[in-house]
Amino acid sequence: MSAITNTSDHGHDSALHHQFEDIGQQNDSYIVGMWVFLSTEVMFFGALFFIYTLYRWNYQLDFYIAHEHLDVKLGAINTSVLLFSSFTMVMAVQSAQLKRRLHVIGYLLTTIVCACTFLVIKYFEYSSKIADHLYPGAGFATDAHAAFGAHAFEAGKLAVNMNHAQLFYALYFGMTGLHAVHIIAGILVILALIRLWVIRAKSVTLDYIPTEMVGLYWHFVDLVWIFLFPLFYLMPKPH
Amino acid sequence: MSSTVIPSGELGQQAEESNYLNVKHTIASWLLTGDHKRIALLYLVSTSFFFFLGSIAAGLIRYELTSPAGVVLESETYNKVFSSHGILMVFTFLVVAIPAIFGNFLVPLMIGARDLAFPRLNLASWYMYMTGGTLILAGMIFGGVDTGWTFYTPYSSMYSNGQVTMVIIGIFIAGFSTITTGINFVVTIHKMRAPGMTWFRLPLFIWAMYATSLMMILATPVVAITLLLVVYERTFKLPVFSPELGGDPVLFQHLFWFYSHPAVYIMILPAFAIVSELIANFSRKRIFGYHFVAFSSLAIAGLGFLVWGHHMFVSSQSMYESIVFSLISYLVAVPSAIKIFNWMATMYKGNIRLQSPMIYAIAFLMIFTVGGLTGLFLGAAGTDIHLTATYFVVAHFHYVMVGGTMLAFLGGLHYWWPKITGRMFSDGIAKVNAVIVFVGFNLTFFPQFIVGWLGMPRRYHYYYFAPEFQAYHIMSTLGATVLGLGFILPAFYLTMSLFTGPKAGPNPWGAHGLEWETSSPPPTSNFTETPIVMDEVYDFDPVSDHAKDLKDIEERNRRRSEEGYCGSEDDN
Amino acid sequence: MASQTSHSHEHHIVPTSTYLLTLILLVLLMLATVWAASFNLPAIGPFSGTVVNQMVALIIATAKALLVIMVFMGVRWSSTLAKLWVASGFVTLILLFGILGDYTTRHYEHQHGWEARPDGSLPRSTPDEEVVPPINANDLNVKIRQ
Repeated sequence: MSAITNTSDHGHDSALHHQFEDIGQQNDSYIVGMWVFLSTEVMFFGALFFIYTLYRWNYQLDFYIAHEHLDVKLGAINTSVLLFSSFTMVMAVQSAQLKRRLHVIGYLLTTIVCACTFLVIKYFEYSSKIADHLYPGAGFATDAHAAFGAHAFEAGKLAVNMNHAQLFYALYFGMTGLHAVHIIAGILVILALIRLWVIRAKSVTLDYIPTEMVGLYWHFVDLVWIFLFPLFYLMPKPH
Repeated sequence: MSSTVIPSGELGQQAEESNYLNVKHTIASWLLTGDHKRIALLYLVSTSFFFFLGSIAAGLIRYELTSPAGVVLESETYNKVFSSHGILMVFTFLVVAIPAIFGNFLVPLMIGARDLAFPRLNLASWYMYMTGGTLILAGMIFGGVDTGWTFYTPYSSMYSNGQVTMVIIGIFIAGFSTITTGINFVVTIHKMRAPGMTWFRLPLFIWAMYATSLMMILATPVVAITLLLVVYERTFKLPVFSPELGGDPVLFQHLFWFYSHPAVYIMILPAFAIVSELIANFSRKRIFGYHFVAFSSLAIAGLGFLVWGHHMFVSSQSMYESIVFSLISYLVAVPSAIKIFNWMATMYKGNIRLQSPMIYAIAFLMIFTVGGLTGLFLGAAGTDIHLTATYFVVAHFHYVMVGGTMLAFLGGLHYWWPKITGRMFSDGIAKVNAVIVFVGFNLTFFPQFIVGWLGMPRRYHYYYFAPEFQAYHIMSTLGATVLGLGFILPAFYLTMSLFTGPKAGPNPWGAHGLEWETSSPPPTSNFTETPIVMDEVYDFDPVSDHAKDLKDIEERNRRRSEEGYCGSEDDN
Repeated sequence: MASQTSHSHEHHIVPTSTYLLTLILLVLLMLATVWAASFNLPAIGPFSGTVVNQMVALIIATAKALLVIMVFMGVRWSSTLAKLWVASGFVTLILLFGILGDYTTRHYEHQHGWEARPDGSLPRSTPDEEVVPPINANDLNVKIRQ
């Protein structure tokens, strides 16, 4: 490699940006950069998980009763959908390594289908909460019996403080909502990636690293849900 | 790659003529640039603008306090003014300024890279910063915020009537600009170093920037999500931090300070970065205990995550926790002292050149030491109960933030000005200005220690209950006027130097470091050839230094006798 | 610049079977966690049954997360630097959870008279007829000097 700068036209290698010396350096930088970004995401969601932990610990029974309204089956289906989308994503990366262009596009499209399925199921879950006035805010349900039925009572006594139930739903909508925002962002990024593969852009076809970076982001979204699912849907009854 | 080799002579000549400033002149070439040096200049202009606005707010505060009954501002207006001062200074100046200006400009130059790893991300970070800053300003124009820069709940989330939402979203976006800058620095420092540039050949500036980036990346998202929750709670009247509905306001303080204590180090570590360079280069010596100074930066970054509780001694935090935080806070003194002592040991028997950047560095040492030592009063849980929310705290953090960060900023600006613009300024007037800043600063903030110790609370806009404080406040206001002059003067004489200053040449200070080996201003690609680092960092050669001094004196005498020059102001 | 170019990006093409096996494991673990949550597990040692239930759920979640990070995200085959940054986020998160130290060492007191009323209004506008229970000095964690 010559030491001369001003060689941004690297001829055979148009995917290389001018600030890098060779493609290896560029790829390493991209992967490290992506992981550094993901560590900020870990802290971003981590703070929310911390808040959740604290309030769950303080209001165990209220949170348990409030969580009874969530549907474990839908949550489990959503988890499987996301896990499967992670698998198709990783297969897309593998196909990119093997330079099988059509395979990459196919796997990426499957990933998007999974992501949309996830969002549709999420939509049904959200609408059932909203129908029962379990959305955080001024309109939050005040009648525990109407909202949670028999679950709201423990030995004939009202066992749930609706303020604390609202706290649960504030965190539920906040955390799953932020996760859904990440899913939507992921769909857009994957669409952009598919477009690049379709038009055979050299920036993605010459090397698998751009596909790998999108993959890392997508697995992170999956990772968040892996923790959201047991924390929100699988709450043990305080005993 | 032999096909792309350009004869080096031709290229060198080309680079002599074209540099990053004159390569293109259109506005689009500035606003859409990927060049880290141009982005640094964009940041220089924009942060200076926000600093100017923050200073106006500071001026209003000082003017209001000249009388025990207040002068011009209503209570609520006063609250909005000090909040604006805090928010603008912290979120749009102190956290951003040194990393985004000097870090952006110097990190690639110092490690011998052509650019940062992600130039487009770098530009995006400037746009995020401007969007955030604009939202913050808009919030202040359309109603203002009266919560202080800390946004304590439940006041900010339930009761305050100002534009809290808009300002918080501005801070949120500006926060992401900080994060992207941090990501860029980390990747660049890890992956883009020139051949031979090992970790222990890196200038200490780079070490401190790395530590700063670490905190930017890992702490900023916490405050981002916390402030977002305040907006969430404010919009929907939720119970996240409100005690009325089962939330815990102390949780907000925990999360806020989990970021904001590291943020304090995000503000001061870049100052350490600059001062290390100044002290080494103007003492003509390798930094004493290079490894210790380098690792003390990382130690400060690490400890920064463990001491947030010392901001909360008077909240309902458990007293056991207060004791632990108090003890860990003392530990921070260790790496800070390592730095101070090593700088002093570097100066000892050094060949010190008292040019203007060095005077700022020495002023920094004195002021930062006072600021750091008064921090011990506040870190001790016992005395802190007495001093919480008094002017003692105000004086302490201004000694660290203004006397520390601001002086280092000015020192760095003078030091790298010839590199950034290619022009020398008049060193004489810069020295005078350094003295003005030093005197003005101490006159402003030293009386605040005393008046704070006597019991003057912060954030009050009158003190008719203790009119005897007036003398201190008037002293402080006078000092602020002098300090203001010290901040305005550089704007004039540095701008003047652009038109009248002599050409600087690649290395006007005789400094050591890769950034001084390229032309001033540097070409767009920084170096005509990728540098190969053969020598150690701060590797000054006293013998050749001495010889060069003699040669300089000879040269100067010759020039003077030729030109019949007898001025003394400009002789550096 | 070139000195930093370790060729750690060489193509580690992981066979499809590995990925498929990981997916199957992940789905099995997901089913296991749902199944485990259907029981009220007994207390073990100092941990109450609730805690045991929750620990099982979180251990399974952590196992799933590790599978995703190591295999799908390819950290197993990544450079040391990438591994360090993977760790850094989680280590800092542990520091953040240190905030719990405060809540375990103080009494989280409930203050009477500050709850929102059933209509959702805040107690700032407490009507006069509402009776606020007097604060009993014995409830507070302070000594009143005589």
